[in-house]
Order: sequence, then structure tokens, then C-alpha cells
Amino acid sequence: MLAKTLMASVAVLALGAGTALAQPVTIRVVSKDLVTTNPDDIAHIERIEEAMAAQGTEIDIEIVDLPSAGYQDKLALMLLSGDIPDLIYFQGGDEQFANQGLFEDWRPWIEDTEYLKDALWPHNGDRLDNYPYLLYVFPARTKSPVMREDWLAQTGLERPQTLEEWTEMMRVLAASDYDGNGEEDTYGIIAPDNTAELDAVFNQAFGVATTWMQNADGEWIHSRVSDAERDKLAYYQMLFAEGLLDPEFITSNWEVKEDKFYTGKVGIVMGTAGTVVDIYRTKMQQVNDGAELVLLDPPAGVGQGLEAVDVSKESRGFALSALSENKEEVVALMDFLASPEGQMFERMGFEGEHYTDNGGTYEITEAMGTWYPRFMIAQPGAWQPPVDLLSPVAQASLEQGAHYFTPDNAFVWPAEYAADVDAAENYYRTSVYRFVSGEWSMDQWDQYVQGWYDAGGQRLTEHARTVLP
Amino acid sequence: MSLDEKSVAAVASRFGNVPKDAPGAEFDERAVRRMQRGVKVRTWLPYYLMLAPGVLYFLVFHYYPIYLAKLAFEDFRIFGDNLWVGLKHFGVLFGSPVFYQVLANTLIISGMKILFVFPVPIVVALFINEVRNSNLRRFIQSAIYLPHFLSWVVIAGIFIAALSPSSGVVNEITGWFGLAPKGFMTDSGSIRWVVVFSEMWRSAGWDSLLYFAAIMAIDPQLYDAAEMDGANRWHKIWHVTLPGIAPTIATLFILNVGLFMNAGFDQIINLSNDAIRDQIDIIDTYVYRIGLQSGQFSLATAAGLFKGVIGMALIVAAHTISKRLTGKGVW
Repeated sequence: MLAKTLMASVAVLALGAGTALAQPVTIRVVSKDLVTTNPDDIAHIERIEEAMAAQGTEIDIEIVDLPSAGYQDKLALMLLSGDIPDLIYFQGGDEQFANQGLFEDWRPWIEDTEYLKDALWPHNGDRLDNYPYLLYVFPARTKSPVMREDWLAQTGLERPQTLEEWTEMMRVLAASDYDGNGEEDTYGIIAPDNTAELDAVFNQAFGVATTWMQNADGEWIHSRVSDAERDKLAYYQMLFAEGLLDPEFITSNWEVKEDKFYTGKVGIVMGTAGTVVDIYRTKMQQVNDGAELVLLDPPAGVGQGLEAVDVSKESRGFALSALSENKEEVVALMDFLASPEGQMFERMGFEGEHYTDNGGTYEITEAMGTWYPRFMIAQPGAWQPPVDLLSPVAQASLEQGAHYFTPDNAFVWPAEYAADVDAAENYYRTSVYRFVSGEWSMDQWDQYVQGWYDAGGQRLTEHARTVLP
Repeated sequence: MSLDEKSVAAVASRFGNVPKDAPGAEFDERAVRRMQRGVKVRTWLPYYLMLAPGVLYFLVFHYYPIYLAKLAFEDFRIFGDNLWVGLKHFGVLFGSPVFYQVLANTLIISGMKILFVFPVPIVVALFINEVRNSNLRRFIQSAIYLPHFLSWVVIAGIFIAALSPSSGVVNEITGWFGLAPKGFMTDSGSIRWVVVFSEMWRSAGWDSLLYFAAIMAIDPQLYDAAEMDGANRWHKIWHVTLPGIAPTIATLFILNVGLFMNAGFDQIINLSNDAIRDQIDIIDTYVYRIGLQSGQFSLATAAGLFKGVIGMALIVAAHTISKRLTGKGVW
């Protein structure tokens, strides 16, 4: 009996010692805006570790600090120096590393997960099929047009539906004085830096349906040299000439855009569906007490809808290092974040700080405005928050993005086309401004088309015709 | 006789306190040099130590990268050795549809800066030197140094606001003379002048410091002598001050020529916009886009190496010409 007791004691001690000696697996994570100097980030990571440990997966998440400013450049230099974390967030510049086999194909890993595979949005699946190295489980970053509800009421017009109604709306806005400076000098619309945000709303109305379109002979041509593009630029030119489009849009960054919107210098802006529209609403209400935003529909013309969504690859997202010795644990982390408990952490923030729970009745606090998901937002079919996190207009913008979702046919360019892509893009952007500002007449369209082909467009088109069906 | 004894004897014979025909006093030049070197090192050791970080900095950040520039001839690999591809990346670079435009922009903007910006600090230093009221002089110096401490992000913001066609102060002033508002930041004919003027505004005051210091080093007796000969202020500037700072001007000019291909990355990237990018896109901004943002590191290195070789050729040429014309150079 004594011998048995002694043996049992030794076994228990050995087991205990074994448990005490077991070290959690360390996972190194680098991500923009995830830093050890942010107490919220630290607390968030710690509770994820605790929750996963309670489920039997012991991991130690080590945040690799990189500054947000110049993140892309600094990340590339860090990877080049041989410091390669297990989970890496990219915001561009990932292709060169992917081409050298630095990343795992996410698809087989995702297939074996319990929650992550169901958390993907429709565009995630398309993008993973085309480029399986980046994973970004967030709603598609479509742009939605918004304006102030009281300004809409003051115009005496209904929410515009057609291109003509949109033009009329912008004319009325431009003849208003929403900044209160005594002059009727409000601009109808603004797009920061270039016309990309205008394209998000107007492309389909002019028939710019996808990046590559077929001409009358059935040959693939880039939309930027299509007749539809010419018609669209002629419309922008009219907006500019009539003072409906802010003439200084080209030198206005996103901060200037927002400032002009909040101070009544511009009537309509486009915001990324969901969180960004919510931020616009919050800021507008801070500046103008009680002001509410209203979502506008994209104009109907040749077609109606938002710009086609690029599904060639994720433009940003998380990569799983092929060199990682802890791939299973990294995938377990992503799977946990997609689970109901993980989404509760990711989406709701901290109880008592960002939300309150009174016996199952949830309320969000003002501090929720400072909280944002660090890793993912599962699609609504997989998980829904217990309380509306977005304002009605922001929620409606997400639904608008889903309603008008059209996959684009753009594809990833091989590395040897980088110089041509850069040259053609810059030629296009400069030419667009010259057309829009009236420096170039629309009669010079053919000249522009030839210039685009000369600036690398010819090589790009020839390659596209070998890729597209 | 041991080696040490031999060396001591040799030193003694060298310095003359031992007869040359004394035993062991045969002349041992190498031993003397060795001892002298040892004495020198011991004497100057603290200074060598102070110099070490600077030397290390140049070795690590300036000389080692010269070796690494071989990446221009290789395909970069994260795993294993890079692949030697010879001139492939130079072929891509020179075959790019915009490379020659980018090169032309770099040369034009750099040329404009040398022509219009380089002389300004000299003139500023001469003017400051002529201000007799010391309080006023200090105020002017402080005021014109200030822009140097502003980042290009801030300066770009100031220029975009000041040159705005709708609310900018410049267009407001030109409006007083009946001129129509002009979008200087979006006008392809104006933007290079904006680049030159903003560079002048930022650097003229600060760069005048060196010339001002050189003026201060001129012997005051030269001015007294000139005055006795009846020279007025202009004569003194022309015949005393300018010749006095000529070596400084020559040195800085050669150094500026060496930096000819650096047309100002920070400045251009902040002042650029889609309307005028084709007018001010320079090699540095092109390398940044193609190299760092697109991850084409070998291509970017090829462009950087090309720029470096041109810069080296220019500095050697400027040095040689300067040596022949003025007898002054940088080495």
C-alpha cells in the first residue's frame, strides 16, 4: 500500500513538474497599429492568450513593434534583414516576398478550421483563389456617397437616382452657402488626390464596368482607353467647369476632404463603407450638433452600381510565414479570433469600457469610438454583435456595398511589368486631370489613347490578352 | 645585443646623443619608425577613440553599401544566394517608358537649383554682413534660419495653402493687379519654379551660415587698407569679401555638383500631385515607387547605382575644372 502511495505521489509530482515546465509557444505578430505602447493592444492580446489557454492552446503572442508611419517600407526592410515574424500584416509590397515562397497558402489551413472558414466574406474566397497568401477578413472596402440629411431636405430634392438627378443635386448644392460665409460657393462633390473616389460612384453609370473590357471586335482593352471612360471624363470636365466638383481636389488629401465636408464647403463625399462612414457621422456631429448623414445611391446611367471590386488579391492582409515553426498555433489563433468568443473580443472591445452588459442587455459607450478590430470582422452569417455597433447610415453603406458587389477582372501583374504598370498609371492620372480641368479638350482623346499605349499600355494589353479568356 | 637594446641604440644614434660609431648604434630606420608610431598612437589614442564612431558610421553606412550595390546585377533572393543576372535590371530601367523623362526631370530640376538657389545664400551672407545694426542683423538671421527647421510636409502644406487659386495669399496679391487666379501647384509650367522657390525659401538662410563664417574669417585689415585706397562698400564686397570667400564657394559648388542627381526626394514627394507628376518625377521618387513600394529591390539598386556613378563623374569633373581654373578643389 505504501509502495503504491509513493508511486502515485511520484507520478503526480512528475506530471505537475511536466506541466510546470511546459512553455507556451511564442507567436510573433507584426501588424500596423498593433504596438506594445498601446495599453488596449496589450490588454487585448493578453486576454486572447488567456482565453486560448483556457481552451487548451498555450500561446504567447509577441508583438513586433513597427511604426505606423512608413509601415510598408519598414516592414520590407525588416523582412529583408531576415527578421520574419510568424504572422505578418501587409499593406502592399507583399508580392515580391510571395514570389519567393515566403508565405504559406492559406487555403488548406483554412479548410481545417472550425470558425475561420465560415467567417470569410464572399470577396475573400475569390481573392484567395487568385492569390492565396494574404487573408483579410473584413468587409470589401467599397466607397459609399453620403451627405447631410438636413442639407438634402433644404435642397427640396429627393435622393438622386439617375445621373441627371445627381447633376441637379450638385448644382443646387453649389448654389448654396452651407459654410455660412455669405457666398453661394459650396462645391457639390470632392474626391481627394485624384478621381478614384468619383470613379467608385460614377464608373457603372458610364459603362466602365470592369478594368478590362471588350471592344467592338471582341478584343480586350483597358477600360482607361475605352469610349465609356471618355464619356465619364467628359462628365467630370463638365462638373469641374461648372464648379460642381471642387477645383482643388487634386491638391486635397483625405484630411482636407473631411474638413471641407464638416465645415460645409462641400456637399457630398465618399467614405469607405462601414466604419469610415461611421467616423464621418461622428465627426460631423461633433462639429454640427445633431447633424445626421444620409446615404446616396450610385447614379443610374448605362448601368447602376458601385465600382467593380478588385478580387485579384487582397490589397492588404495577413500572411502566414512559410518559415514559421508554429503554423498550427498561428492558424489556431486566427480560428479563435473568428470564433464567437474571439469576435466578441475583436468587435466589442472591453466590457465596462467600450460596452456594458446588464444581464444580457448590451449598450455601447462613447469609448467605443476609439475601439477597432485588430485582426478580423467575420461576415454577418458567422457572427453578429449583440448590439448594433454601427450607426444606421454606416450599416446601410455596408449593405449597399454587398448589394452592388461586382467582381472585377483585374489580375496580378508579373514583376517584370512593374515599370509599365507604373508608367501607364502615372500617364493616366496626369491625363485625367488635364481633361477634367479643361487643359486638354476631349477632342484630344485619340492622342491620349496613343500616349497611354506608348507609356507601357501596349505591353500591358498584350499580356492581358494572354491572361483573360 | 637584444633587439630592444639595438632599437634604443638606433634611436639614440638617430637623435644624435650617441656617437655614430658606438657599438650597436647602426642606423635601424624600421625600428625608429615603429617606435615613433607607437608614441604617436599612445599620444593620440583618446582622439582616435573619439574618431572611431565617425569612422564606423562611414564604413557601415557609406562604404559597406558600395559593396552591396552589387545587388544591381543580381536577382534578390530571401532564401539562399542572390542570382547573378548581369545587366538585366539596367535593361529594364533604361527600357522603361518613363525613365528618360524622369532622368530629364532630375537634370532640369537640379540644374535650376544650382543656377538659381546656389548663389542666393552667398548674396544673403553678403547682405547680412552689410547690416550694421547688430540687433537687426540677429533678427534677420533668426528669421531666415527658421524655415530650415520645418519639415517638407509642413512646407508643402504652407505652399499649397499660399498658392491656392481660391484662397491663397499669392493669388490674392496678383488679383490686386488684375491677374486671374492661377493654380501654381497644378500648372505644369509653374511647378518646377515652385520647387526651386520653396527650396530657396527653406535653405537660403541656413546655407548662408557657412559663407557668413567665411566672411568673418577675412582679415579686417584688408577692409581698412581698401578704405584707405578709397574703396566704397561695393568695392570692398567685390574686391575683398568675394575673393575672401571664393575657396568656400568653390568647395561648396563642387559638393553641390556631386549631389546634382539628388534633386530632393522629400521635397518632391510632398509637393507632387497627379496633375504635374510628369514634370517633377525624379529618379529618387521613381526608385521609391518602383523599388520600395513595388518590392523591386534590385531594380531600385540599379537606378541608385546609375545615379551614384553619374554623381561621382560630376564631382570629379567639377573638381578637375575648379583645380585648373582656381587652383582650389575638394582634395
